[in-house]
Amino acid sequence: MFDLRNRTALPAQAGIGLRHPHLPEFLAMPQPAAWLEIHSENYLAPGGPRLGALERLRGDYPLSCHGVGLSLGSAAGLDAAHLARLRYLYDRLEPEAISEHLAWSTAPDGTFLADLLPLPYTDEALAIAAANIERAQQALGRRLLVENPSTYLRFQQTDWDEAGFLSELVRCTGCGLLLDVNNLYVSAVNHGSDPQAVLNALPLAAVGEIHIAGHARVATSWGELLIDDHGSPVAEPVWALLAATLRLTGPCPVLMEWDTNIPELPVLLAEAERAEGYLREITGASG
Amino acid sequence: MHLAELQTRMQQMLLSGGGPDPALLALLADTPEQHERRLAVYRNNVRHALLSVLEAAFPVVEQLVGVECFTATALTFIAEHPPHRPVLYAYGVDFPGFLTEFRPLVELPWLADIARLEWARNEALFAAEAEPLTPDQLASIPADKLAGLQLQLHPATQLLESSWPIHAIWAAHQPGGGPLEAVDLQQAETVMVWRQAGAVRQRLLTPGEFALLAACVKQSPLAEAVEAAIQQEPAFDLRIVLARWLNEDVLERPIMTLLTS
Repeated sequence: MFDLRNRTALPAQAGIGLRHPHLPEFLAMPQPAAWLEIHSENYLAPGGPRLGALERLRGDYPLSCHGVGLSLGSAAGLDAAHLARLRYLYDRLEPEAISEHLAWSTAPDGTFLADLLPLPYTDEALAIAAANIERAQQALGRRLLVENPSTYLRFQQTDWDEAGFLSELVRCTGCGLLLDVNNLYVSAVNHGSDPQAVLNALPLAAVGEIHIAGHARVATSWGELLIDDHGSPVAEPVWALLAATLRLTGPCPVLMEWDTNIPELPVLLAEAERAEGYLREITGASG
Repeated sequence: MHLAELQTRMQQMLLSGGGPDPALLALLADTPEQHERRLAVYRNNVRHALLSVLEAAFPVVEQLVGVECFTATALTFIAEHPPHRPVLYAYGVDFPGFLTEFRPLVELPWLADIARLEWARNEALFAAEAEPLTPDQLASIPADKLAGLQLQLHPATQLLESSWPIHAIWAAHQPGGGPLEAVDLQQAETVMVWRQAGAVRQRLLTPGEFALLAACVKQSPLAEAVEAAIQQEPAFDLRIVLARWLNEDVLERPIMTLLTS
């Protein structure tokens, strides 16, 4: 029923994003998280207590390394030094999955803009992103999962919609899809599309990991704009979309992310537990 | 428009805060009255991300000038010195130098040195791991080799020399620190920042300690380094100082072949 070729070695259970404020609790005792995800760029320093903590935890939890700085959409190509830093980290940690975003953050002159900026979905951008993904997979020696972004603007010049663009990348590069259900919902609302229709158009057989997170809502002169700030519990429409997604993809690793106004660890674990409930629903297992 | 040009124009729009770029706006979907609001989300994200990095690295500088002034100063820095590597633990290395030249803050001449101290703490936190030198290893060095020994600082150990009481000002801004009014602003200080058991620590150095450690950084043999220390501090006692440093893990274990050859 499900295409398992694209699954990663992560368990089809709910994990959480590991953030610095929670490190002491993880080091003190085992926590009920099925797996952990880190932002790779937070662990590229030569040493120090955070890297030490991660190396200690690595043996106890399956690990996903989520890059936020490779800039797969950069017209000027990828930064060889950054690829080498990531490769060094990944060879040491041997994560069960690695991922990056369909976005750009490094400008042609090398300036790093510290945000996931939107691409026009043109043939030119497709060729650039595909070449960058191929180079990254080669240099990192691993298959990448590429995440659908949350976006706040679109470009007039387009040859593809986002789902079609991602499908082409999967087809051309063999990369997998990290389906961020919150991003899908945020972008759909911000651009007046139907989230379910976008979901149906995505290359769901390539999904290797799912993300959920909270977003903020701001009023504008033309209606609501959703901001993907990872600063609150998951919104109800996003839970509903997660349930719909899992019915289509089958069992899949689901990650709860929380990056601003980081709460106490139990709050984060409770969100993961709710996601675990949706996973149990589709496998028919009792809790 | 090619993607490279689009990305360059968007970079300028995000960092400069200048007026709208008609060529960029012409590329956007949605109605023109929505453009500024939609672009503002990205502008806020970029500024917020980089500002948070500087706030985390320079908390005492922020307390000294106040949040509003720090934000304005940091945003000027971000526009003039954006990062060029996607690794943000290293972003802010140029901030102390920027503060030296930043005219609105010339009234606070010690501010840049406080920033240097905070950056040294940041470097100490992220520096490479290394085995600290132990008393046994030091004791195993034959007496006739000691004069020529080059002591190595642990990669996390940093030395600072300032015409201002940077350690005292910093300490007054920690929880439970004394009042800033009690600090003698005429007092020059030498400070060591290091890492022990994963925690960043700092303390004042005596003139002799600073002279000896500074000589070690220049790879002077121990005999010369001690001479420099005694010149600065006639009562300098190497044995007491070494015992303290070994206890604090500020020195690195040298490569064993150096010890046995």
